[in-house]
Amino acid sequence: MKRRVVITACSAITPIGYDKDTIIENLRQGRSGVKPLRDDGLLTRHIHSRVFGTVDYPIDYGFKRHFTKTMGPVAYYACKVAKDVLERSGLSQDFITSGRLGVAFGSTHGSPTVQREIYKTFFNDIDSKFSSIGAVDYLRSMVHTTAVNITRMFGITGRVIASSTACTTSSQSIGYGYEMVKYGMQDAMICGGADEYDTTTVAVFDNLLACSVNYNAAPHCTPRPFDTNRDGLVVGEGGGAILLEEYESAKKRGAEILGEIIGFACNNNGGDLILPNLDGITATLRLALKDAEITPYDVDFISAHATATKMGDVIEAQAIAAVYGDRPLVTGLKSYMGHTMGTCGVIELILTTYMMEQGFIAPTLNLENVDERCNMLRHTREITESNTKIAAIQNFAFGGVNTCLLVKSANEVH
Amino acid sequence: MTRDDIQDKILAILTEDFEFEKPGLDDNLRDDHGFDSIDAIELLGKIELTILDFSLTREEKEKAMGIRTINDIVAYIEDIKHSRSK
Repeated sequence: MKRRVVITACSAITPIGYDKDTIIENLRQGRSGVKPLRDDGLLTRHIHSRVFGTVDYPIDYGFKRHFTKTMGPVAYYACKVAKDVLERSGLSQDFITSGRLGVAFGSTHGSPTVQREIYKTFFNDIDSKFSSIGAVDYLRSMVHTTAVNITRMFGITGRVIASSTACTTSSQSIGYGYEMVKYGMQDAMICGGADEYDTTTVAVFDNLLACSVNYNAAPHCTPRPFDTNRDGLVVGEGGGAILLEEYESAKKRGAEILGEIIGFACNNNGGDLILPNLDGITATLRLALKDAEITPYDVDFISAHATATKMGDVIEAQAIAAVYGDRPLVTGLKSYMGHTMGTCGVIELILTTYMMEQGFIAPTLNLENVDERCNMLRHTREITESNTKIAAIQNFAFGGVNTCLLVKSANEVH
Repeated sequence: MTRDDIQDKILAILTEDFEFEKPGLDDNLRDDHGFDSIDAIELLGKIELTILDFSLTREEKEKAMGIRTINDIVAYIEDIKHSRSK
């Protein structure tokens, strides 16, 4: 059994906004969400990169303590976008709790804020007569905290997939959610990811010389995907969720259709855990096309992973050129908000559906002089009016994990 | 610390930290206030820290799992204090 899978609701908390109109406006105006790195007291003064894709606007969560007691900051993002998606979907409470709705949701490593508190307690109070590690600290910090706080808050009893594969966390969640519905294991899935403000992630990439360090005085000028003067990625925070549903039932209940997932691929480079791999990435892009049963000529737009690292962008450009040539428009959406880690796939998918609906493609921000090694692509250099029918969302992660999602515009879902 | 002091402390903890609204001394903690096993462990930690000033043994903590009301909590703390003072 192969069923069609459509997106019927979405929500994203991003460094360039939360509500759809704000995000679209910031994309159209070329506004960056990259800000100075905040001092959270951990390693901050040792980190060379002083920039961060920051969510600095107030969010009205309105969650009761009954729910928040098991939630770290990452689960606040996750539950908020999941709540939005369920409210917008119009799904009945009976369906939500029926076991036919599942959750595929993850984060890079649970809640590092809570983990830090646990280790502070552990190392500082080891001789104390009281054990001050709270009962709920594990629930707040564990790697599947986002997925199960969503199930807890909304009484969801279906399958749980808690992907935690760094930068492919949410694209994997969407891909596996898509397969759950496509092959009839579930009728609908809430899919996505979240990552909270965390300087330890910055410290890791900084230590690997992968973070941007030359634009600390002008955060909005970095990251610079595919640009000659790019100098690395910018870590960011955020959350995003989409609802995937089986097409016929979504249509029958009159759900608004925002797009259709038509293909997904995920593979591994089978070797190095850090370096990008041309063969692995190229294979992923081709596998996704095969899954969708379309040709490279059917794809109009590519949301590139494009973290703005020296080698990552070049390898990705080579893979895109090998599979697609120079026909589809290519944008690196991280140029607007940095690399939101486990969230990037779902945010980039949501932003892509917004642009498809609005009939434009946003340019790669800060792309002033294209690196000659990336110059064989059709880069989006300015706001481009576009009737994008099919888009590819590409994401690649530490650990050699590669994903590609193919999404069809709502206008083309018949 | 008198029984009334203990009761006041517990009421303050339940109201401020556990967001109880108008707690009654004989309310069922679970049914009336959604107090669950996670809350019970958290409350024991607060009792150790703010009332007893010593660490409970595993056996003492297990006894607390039968508690149903605020009156039960206060009686439990008095029992622990009494048995430890022997």
